[in-house]
Amino acid sequence: MSVAERAASSVPTLSVKQCCHTGGGEGAGPQSPVVALAGAPNTGKSTLFNALTGANVTMGNWPGTTVEVSRGAWHAPASCLCEGCTCPDSQPLDITLVDLPGAYSLDPHSPDEALTRELLIGGPADERPDIAVVTCDASRLTGCLYLVAQLREQGLAMVVALTMGDVADKRGIVVDVDALTERLGVPVVAIDPRRRGGLGGLAIAVRDALGVPAPDPRPVPADADALALEDDRFSWIADVVEAATTATAKDARTRSDKVDRWVTAPVLGPLIFLAVMWLVFQVTTTIAAPLQDFLDTLFSGPVTDATVAGLHAVGLGDTWVQGLLVDGLIAGVGMLLTFVPLMTLMFILLALLEDSGYLARAAVVTDRLMRRIGLPGRAFLPLIVGYGCNVPAISGTRILPNARHRILTALLVPFTACTARLTVFVMMGSIFFGAYAGTAVFGMYLTSIVIIVLVGLALRGTLWKGEPIEPLVIDLPAYQVPTLRLTASVTWVKLKGFLQTATGIILVTVIGVWLLQSIPTQPGEAFGEVPVQDSVYGVAAQAITPVFAPAGFNSWQSASTLVVGFVAKEAVISSWAQTYAVAEPEEGGAPGDLGVAVMNTFVESSGGHPIPAALAFMIFLLAYTPCVATVATQWREIGGRWTLFGVGLQLVVAWTLAVAVFQVGRLFW
Amino acid sequence: MSGPLTAVLAQVEAGTPTLVEIARRTGLSEEVTRAAVDHLLRSGRLAADQVPIGCPPGGCGGCAVAATCSQPVMLSLSVRR
Repeated sequence: MSVAERAASSVPTLSVKQCCHTGGGEGAGPQSPVVALAGAPNTGKSTLFNALTGANVTMGNWPGTTVEVSRGAWHAPASCLCEGCTCPDSQPLDITLVDLPGAYSLDPHSPDEALTRELLIGGPADERPDIAVVTCDASRLTGCLYLVAQLREQGLAMVVALTMGDVADKRGIVVDVDALTERLGVPVVAIDPRRRGGLGGLAIAVRDALGVPAPDPRPVPADADALALEDDRFSWIADVVEAATTATAKDARTRSDKVDRWVTAPVLGPLIFLAVMWLVFQVTTTIAAPLQDFLDTLFSGPVTDATVAGLHAVGLGDTWVQGLLVDGLIAGVGMLLTFVPLMTLMFILLALLEDSGYLARAAVVTDRLMRRIGLPGRAFLPLIVGYGCNVPAISGTRILPNARHRILTALLVPFTACTARLTVFVMMGSIFFGAYAGTAVFGMYLTSIVIIVLVGLALRGTLWKGEPIEPLVIDLPAYQVPTLRLTASVTWVKLKGFLQTATGIILVTVIGVWLLQSIPTQPGEAFGEVPVQDSVYGVAAQAITPVFAPAGFNSWQSASTLVVGFVAKEAVISSWAQTYAVAEPEEGGAPGDLGVAVMNTFVESSGGHPIPAALAFMIFLLAYTPCVATVATQWREIGGRWTLFGVGLQLVVAWTLAVAVFQVGRLFW
Repeated sequence: MSGPLTAVLAQVEAGTPTLVEIARRTGLSEEVTRAAVDHLLRSGRLAADQVPIGCPPGGCGGCAVAATCSQPVMLSLSVRR
């Protein structure tokens, strides 16, 4: 039988006065008064118990339970110090002190609370403790007083021991002990058990309370249901706290609240969020550009030259080994590594936003938007995560209790612009939009939000019609000054993940792309010496190229990189670099100038409208399937049928939007 | 009869986005609002989920920077039905 069941059935075996139980331990003696020490967890209750009983303590599980209860002897000093007095208070008093488990209330929500309830008020009056000492944290008074409120309804003698006064002082909270005593209707003593402060006063209060009848129980509304009764207690607590405390300090919480009035406002909040994100992208692209150019020059110049020279020195120059190392690894992985400064800066800025507490405000803004357009409130959580990486975001849909909401959200997550796509956006932005690269990248993030909203509305209007929307409340942390240590740690963890992907999946993809670009399709051509457009890679890409003609990027170079991008978006740039590194000498372009080669390709494929074609390409990249890892995660979370539906949906949305953007854009650019 | 708990529950139902906003709309102090929410969570009338912004799905246990992290945990609250 559990403690809760015992409590419910009132089995008369649990009593603080039955000290013969093994687990009950030793007290001061059978005739000594029994004082029960109760209180919410972390209010200094056990510290007080140790301070009052010293080493004279026994601990153990209460019989029939797994709940630990300590019992000890408290030698309370004389409270009457009159010379020659012979009254009972002039002699020390031995008290049996029982340290009950921490409990917020007498409601048996846990075994601890069930036992506390049973021992304090469960048994007959003669088996109850003579008095309860309830510890209360002065810095969190409201949270501690619910237990006091319940005990005050029972007519049990009680003394409130007010702890953590130093913490309350630091927070600018002043508790008026006299006012609290008057409002609660029981003695209140401020103590500091860690420094043994106020223990004499507590002994006097306890001895005084033992000598008088318990106060009348606090009246409660008759015939009230459980919630009404709890509400009545909270109303009483609110009145007590208001009368007995004053907050003098304007702490960080208050400052945060003032800022939040603006930052989370219905109209201004989203605008501030958009401005912050625009600033992040603008700062990232502007500051990182020179570093990126330096690394690009380093990989395409000295590193490539040194590798070629070294291979010639060992007799491997102009062989397939040079092709793999120079056109494959250095061109592919090297190009991706030029994005390390950019990703570092981006991760630092996002870590600063996160550590400062702003990202949590962004969640509020996003959540409000979601609910206004009829999407489930909690869906914004995995969607926000999706802007980092889609894979954990889809796993995160498990927090949604409704299965249909989980499927809907998992279908929307791939439309969030993950950081892997960011590298391609930045590269396209710098090639086609120059000084406005940051704005172009920001535009892709805005487009991502618009796509999610429109696709979400379309799905809710058809497949998920009539699904209820659950309300949601967020407990925002206070703003804080970001710490260098945490920002550096978070940045490093994310950068390490980026580098691991670059050197893992991307390395394999680079080798795979190089292999396909080296295999000839025509007889008479040697492995590794075939023009890319005549390789297996080039021929296969040319077969799918016509599909992208209405979108303006129907070149085999662009089409092939989208196929590679299905594996992972980081591979888009590396495969492009590989393609042009091989093709450039044939075309006579400047070695290493990938941007010029890409621009020329788009000018040609779009019929002289490279800007709308580039935008269409970026939007296609944004909306189509993020990577195989995302597909695998979707398959695990929502099953094969919905995953295939999702992949089809992404391709349809991506192609439709890309075509629309190009066809409309070519009218203006 | 409408007390602090009923008022807080009504605001959660209505979709008031933050605890500070709930405190402002109900006229309760922020401390009483937080204590009321804690009580509603313990009594099972509200459910709380950790918002995994910037955090791994498995929570702090699987996070490489858990040892150095000093961020407060952000919770989302919803009415349990």
